[in-house]
Amino acid sequence: MLKLIFGRLLQGLLVLLIVSALTFTLLAQAGGDALTALGSDPLVSEQAINELRHTYGLDRPLHTRYLRWLGEIARGRMGQSFYYHAPVGDLVLSRLVNTLMLAAFALSFAWAVALSLGALAARRANVWADHLCSAIILLAASTPRIVLALVALAFAVRTSLSIGPSSAPTGNGVSSLIMRLILPGLVLGVPLIALFLAQVRDGLGTALGEEFVRVARAKGLTERAVVFKHALRSALNPLITIFGYSLGGLVSGSVIVETVLGWPGLGQLSVVAVRNRDVPLLMGVVLVTATAVFVGNLIADILLRLNDPRLRRDAEVTTAKASSAATTTTAAHAG
Amino acid sequence: MKADVQQMEATAALEERRDERELRARLRSRVRGRARFYTGFSIMCLFYATAIFADLLAPYDYRAQSRGEPLAPQTSIHFRDAEGRFSARPFIYARRLVDPLERRYEEQAGKAYPLELFARGYTYRLFGMWSTDLHLFGVRGDGDGERGAPRLNLLGTDALGRDRLSRLLIASRFSLLVGPLGTLAASCFGIFLGCVAGYARGLFETLLMRAADVMMSLPVLVLILAARAAFPLELPPLRAASLLILIFLAVGWAEMARLARGLVTALRRREYVLAAESLGLTQTRILFRHILPNALRPLIIQVTLMLPAFLLAETALSFLGVGLQEPEASWGNMLASAADPTLLREHALVLLSPAISIFLFVLGVRLVGDGLKPKGA
Repeated sequence: MLKLIFGRLLQGLLVLLIVSALTFTLLAQAGGDALTALGSDPLVSEQAINELRHTYGLDRPLHTRYLRWLGEIARGRMGQSFYYHAPVGDLVLSRLVNTLMLAAFALSFAWAVALSLGALAARRANVWADHLCSAIILLAASTPRIVLALVALAFAVRTSLSIGPSSAPTGNGVSSLIMRLILPGLVLGVPLIALFLAQVRDGLGTALGEEFVRVARAKGLTERAVVFKHALRSALNPLITIFGYSLGGLVSGSVIVETVLGWPGLGQLSVVAVRNRDVPLLMGVVLVTATAVFVGNLIADILLRLNDPRLRRDAEVTTAKASSAATTTTAAHAG
Repeated sequence: MKADVQQMEATAALEERRDERELRARLRSRVRGRARFYTGFSIMCLFYATAIFADLLAPYDYRAQSRGEPLAPQTSIHFRDAEGRFSARPFIYARRLVDPLERRYEEQAGKAYPLELFARGYTYRLFGMWSTDLHLFGVRGDGDGERGAPRLNLLGTDALGRDRLSRLLIASRFSLLVGPLGTLAASCFGIFLGCVAGYARGLFETLLMRAADVMMSLPVLVLILAARAAFPLELPPLRAASLLILIFLAVGWAEMARLARGLVTALRRREYVLAAESLGLTQTRILFRHILPNALRPLIIQVTLMLPAFLLAETALSFLGVGLQEPEASWGNMLASAADPTLLREHALVLLSPAISIFLFVLGVRLVGDGLKPKGA
């Protein structure tokens, strides 16, 4: 287990290094930086801009800048945002908390719906539950977050809910925070339902047909215990793998949801950074989101091993199996 | 003895009935799958036909501004005039902006302007070849250079007075081109890499799969945004399209490669592969003529899952103002005006019409994918 965590951390560091270097190079190739826009201002002289470039170190060669940026990161700083005139670290971290809150809400909502409906359908108690599930999967999968977010916005505007845009989650009281979290959280969560529900239904359906379930039933366990303690546990592996893969999509989805519904999270920040060519800020956002997604995947991996003792021994084989079961459905979340 | 025979007969009858029931169930699910596939397929065809004939269907040039009519509501079509006389041919009235602040319009019931099919309008090239000015419908006398005729805005106009329906129709072109082309490029590249990795094994496979794993765990839209930030924000449509397709290719190959590798690894141990090998066929031929066709169905299903994701990525980028730029139209940048709460309060349905189009198209793609899926897999 420790070996796994250590190996993964090492791999993660490498990935982050590559991703950050790539992003940095790409952004540098763009031709133009945060100061280019100043050039059109008649009040600012060419010389002043060049001086500013010098003070910010923007006139150095690419690799020097990247190494300097790395050095800053190693010291726990992320540089200064050109747009907000504030340290990137503070900005990104405060936004990260908001996005994590949103994601946690969306995930728990999606899981709650998927588990309850999926269990209902998998038991084949009645055909209608199964049909309902299919319909929900199809609808949830084909409703993009951008559509959902705009509909939610229209709804909020029509009913003049307090959770309209422009409200910041820095308000007072937990209840008001939750009130404002509901709408963006639901919008972010709905497409995940399709992903989770399909897996829960099929996985549980297969598991319920297995011998050990019959044994559990023969022992006289209650139906609830049979489904949630025995069958679900064996169907959990692909679910956890999917959970890991869904994190990247969750962050992607939050870009749109946060922008439309005015939730001040990382996604919104990344849009601001792109629009204003704020390279340090964008680098910070990319670094933090990639790290967050990576940590989420690591957690999923650890959970996988905690749930299934078989995996702790022959790790490679079964992970591959679990993840190949998951791959066919992962693309669904990216919207 | 007799009891035994009876029981056996009963069991046989029971089994027969069960077989029959199973057969029926399988048939039903198969028919349902077909129905889904064809429904989805016709939705997709409808969308593409609309995109191809967008110029014919659109009554006005999507860039033509009508400064006197910003944010006008839908034109109402009448059959009965002010005196209550009925006419079989529908007509519209001219309208005037009475209150520019609140954007209130008033109809002027004085003169009726009849509508007609195959009206004359702006000149365009059908299929890029035949120059024509025919449009499916329009206001009579609109194309004769007579400037008096009012415009028929079935979905109202946007802030610059452009006809929203025409924009929606033309927008389907960009949106239905870039996402699917990006998907196609990414799928082909991914399938190629995955097949080679699954067949050749070794270090290449390990490296590629590690890279794919990493790629899949990254927040794609943030990366796309970052990649997009590396280029000037305003690009001509063709450059924007090719850039987006390239970006989709760069981020989309991983998922496909992973699936293709899995399938090829599973299939390469089959007997017919062995047979092909013993016949002395080249590896390339075995891989692409024998293994790949057998792996096609799951791969196509995966494509139907990927396509909406990229279509939406394009929409999202245009929505955020870094995809296709005005005055060109895409569903994404049309939706950008729908994010304005004050406008949304009044004309929600009209503003959300691109969203509805997106939903329907994605639904069509999903239905196709669903219909292809073998039941129970």
